[in-house]
Amino acid sequence: MEPIIQTQHLSKTFKTFKAVDDLSFSISHGDIYGFLGQNGAGKSTTMRMLLGLIYPDSGKIFIEGKEFNNNNRKLLSSIGAIIERPDMYGYLSGWENLKIFAALSGKKIPESRLYEVLELVNLRGREKDKVKAYSQGMKQRLGIAIALVHSPNLLILDEPTNGLDPQGIAEMRSLILSLSHDHGKTILISSHLLYEIEQVATKMLIIHKGKKVVEGKVSDLLNPEETLVDIKVRPDETLQAKLAVSEWTQFITNQTHATVTLKMNIANIPTLNKWLVNNDIEVVSINSTHSLEAYFLSLTQ
Amino acid sequence: MMKKIMVLLMMMIVAVGAKSMEADKLYYALRDKVMKVKDYTADVKIKIDVNYMRIPEVKGKLFYKAPDKMRLERNGGLSVLPKKNINMTLSNLMPTGTVTALDAGSETISGKRTRIIKVIPDGESNIVLAKLWIDEGALTVLKTETTTKDQGMILMNLEYGAYSAYGLPTKVLVSMDVKEYKLPQGVAMDYNDPMEVKQKPKDGKPRKGTIQLTYLKYDINTGLSDNVFKKPSK
Amino acid sequence: MIKLLRIELFKIFRRPRTYISFGIVTAISLIIQLAMLSGGKDFVSFGMQGVTDQFDIQGDIINGYFVTYIILQSLLVQIPLLVALVAGDMLAGEANIGTLRLLLTKPISRPKLIMIKFLASLVYTILLIVWLAVVGLFLSLAIFGEGDMINMKSDAFIMILKNDVMWRYVAAFGFAALAMTAIAAMAMMLSAFADNSIGPIIATMGIVVVLTILSSLELPLFNLIKPYLFTTHMIGWKGFFDDQVPYGAIGRSASVLVIYTVAFLGTTIAYFNKKDITS
Repeated sequence: MEPIIQTQHLSKTFKTFKAVDDLSFSISHGDIYGFLGQNGAGKSTTMRMLLGLIYPDSGKIFIEGKEFNNNNRKLLSSIGAIIERPDMYGYLSGWENLKIFAALSGKKIPESRLYEVLELVNLRGREKDKVKAYSQGMKQRLGIAIALVHSPNLLILDEPTNGLDPQGIAEMRSLILSLSHDHGKTILISSHLLYEIEQVATKMLIIHKGKKVVEGKVSDLLNPEETLVDIKVRPDETLQAKLAVSEWTQFITNQTHATVTLKMNIANIPTLNKWLVNNDIEVVSINSTHSLEAYFLSLTQ
Repeated sequence: MMKKIMVLLMMMIVAVGAKSMEADKLYYALRDKVMKVKDYTADVKIKIDVNYMRIPEVKGKLFYKAPDKMRLERNGGLSVLPKKNINMTLSNLMPTGTVTALDAGSETISGKRTRIIKVIPDGESNIVLAKLWIDEGALTVLKTETTTKDQGMILMNLEYGAYSAYGLPTKVLVSMDVKEYKLPQGVAMDYNDPMEVKQKPKDGKPRKGTIQLTYLKYDINTGLSDNVFKKPSK
Repeated sequence: MIKLLRIELFKIFRRPRTYISFGIVTAISLIIQLAMLSGGKDFVSFGMQGVTDQFDIQGDIINGYFVTYIILQSLLVQIPLLVALVAGDMLAGEANIGTLRLLLTKPISRPKLIMIKFLASLVYTILLIVWLAVVGLFLSLAIFGEGDMINMKSDAFIMILKNDVMWRYVAAFGFAALAMTAIAAMAMMLSAFADNSIGPIIATMGIVVVLTILSSLELPLFNLIKPYLFTTHMIGWKGFFDDQVPYGAIGRSASVLVIYTVAFLGTTIAYFNKKDITS
């Protein structure tokens, strides 16, 4: 099956700032595609290019196999989006906002569908209120309703949890999962936080300074074998010698007489801990980070 | 011989005097006729033709009462008349009191032979000199040229019809001097053809203005009350 | 197309700000009407000194037609602001509140969206002019009654018979609508350049004020450029109140306004169609 979105060598420069640099990726039907990068890495610019808000300097975009450009905006009717903040007409009610954008979607949408999406985002009963009276979470959910109302195959959600409280974040997460699992939507979601992506995404792309850093299945990229284990011990001259003859030596990436870093499966930490204790090494702390996370953090520092 | 000359001279003087008396008489007779009209109400058409006054021909009722009351009524509409509107009547262009009248030749105006007399008032008057072209047969004035102290020269051409017995014209054309008018810039914000280059500069000289009055119907000497001429209080 | 236009109009007329314009037009009309009721005589006699020196004018000079003219003349400066209030907000306002990016992710071409927004501004502008006719003309007629209308130009005193006035106002309001259409197009253009709505509104006003001053200054340098300023042509409606209506000049002025409107609109579409939306 054709990818729902495909980009080829997408580049965009604002004045002298290279926002997106030769970016190629593809999103398949059914993916929850995580788009990870620090602020300013080019996520929003890329998403805006997919939506025809920003014109690429070079490169191509294909939506459901057809090349997308400014003369071919009909293709956008298969996409629903929230870009950055879910801004709406505050002086109009949620219902009126929904109705306006439904009418602009290029499809004929019955009122029953409007109620359906309001139900889905849990805004039923509040639709007659003016949007300016909505909380951030309600606006975000109305934004999703607007993005969904014309039944697009692809949802593009730019930092959908921004500005939400923990409960709102949890609700948004379960909504995204439900949209994917129960409604069969393909979702492109961006974030600057790895754990947000890893909790929902099936595939992921990390970009840095407009360039692709890594792309792949989340299950592959977050392979538990790739966990970095940092151990701090009371300084011990015998530590290195003891480790050198142990089975752990194959995992060591770095060590001193007081610290050891190993790259191994996270499941082996209890065994390692037991071994340290049995060998009279006094453990101060054990920390684990996934190597991808460490890498991502190193990018952002 | 001397006597003969004296007689001749006397005769000439008498002859001239007689001729002069005739001009006086003619003038007084004419004035008496004109002055018989004490008041009138007339349906008129007025066309004011002054370069800066762009006013369409209007119909109205003109009220007149001797010696100096005149008012135009336009059934709720605006009426515009010269300030000295009374000068548009013949009676006010004819000096009152005793006058000195002199013959000044003759002229044919639209087929009618007229006798021209010059009239100078003896007493104090606004009129310095009046020159009248008189149709002696009908005893009507066809043209006047009156020099006034305050308004300069006023020219009047008159045509007669059904009311010539009263000395009342059916058509009057009055020409007078008008001053240039200018509204201060900024008050008006005019629209002139923006594509056109500037219009000719103004020279500031006095210009001639004419007012044409056509009398359609007169009601004469109905004893108009002065109230008719009062300006509405509003 | 009609559906999209209805949406734009819905957005305009559901906003309280829109009605401020109608309120301002009403207020200015009422103020002038009140002023004319109380002090109109003095105002008129001041303006007419040049005429009343030599002519005696009787009757109700201050009638509905005359007052309407004064109102129209006064509002000449304010109406562009009121048009800009909405037209200048069409794109920049949506950029400002953030709805523009959502709007532009819909499958509608940007030129079409510009045309629809321009048409919506046009409907608003025309309604504003119609409202001006209601409170300016019809209310003035109700208060002051009808009558012959005088028009004082700087070099002429014009009187128009009362049964000859109304068509001139119909034409004048039509012309005013055309002039305001040019303003709306300019405000839209400025709106496309900006991401906040105050900028284009103030810029529109600034341009109108500066060009109006240029149009009315009698200096040789400015006389050269005057024919090319749209502000010079915006008062073309006054032409209908001349004794000889200068149809040629009015037609040329109308053409200039149409050319400006098309140029503004064309620039807006060309620019906005290429613009990266980063708001």
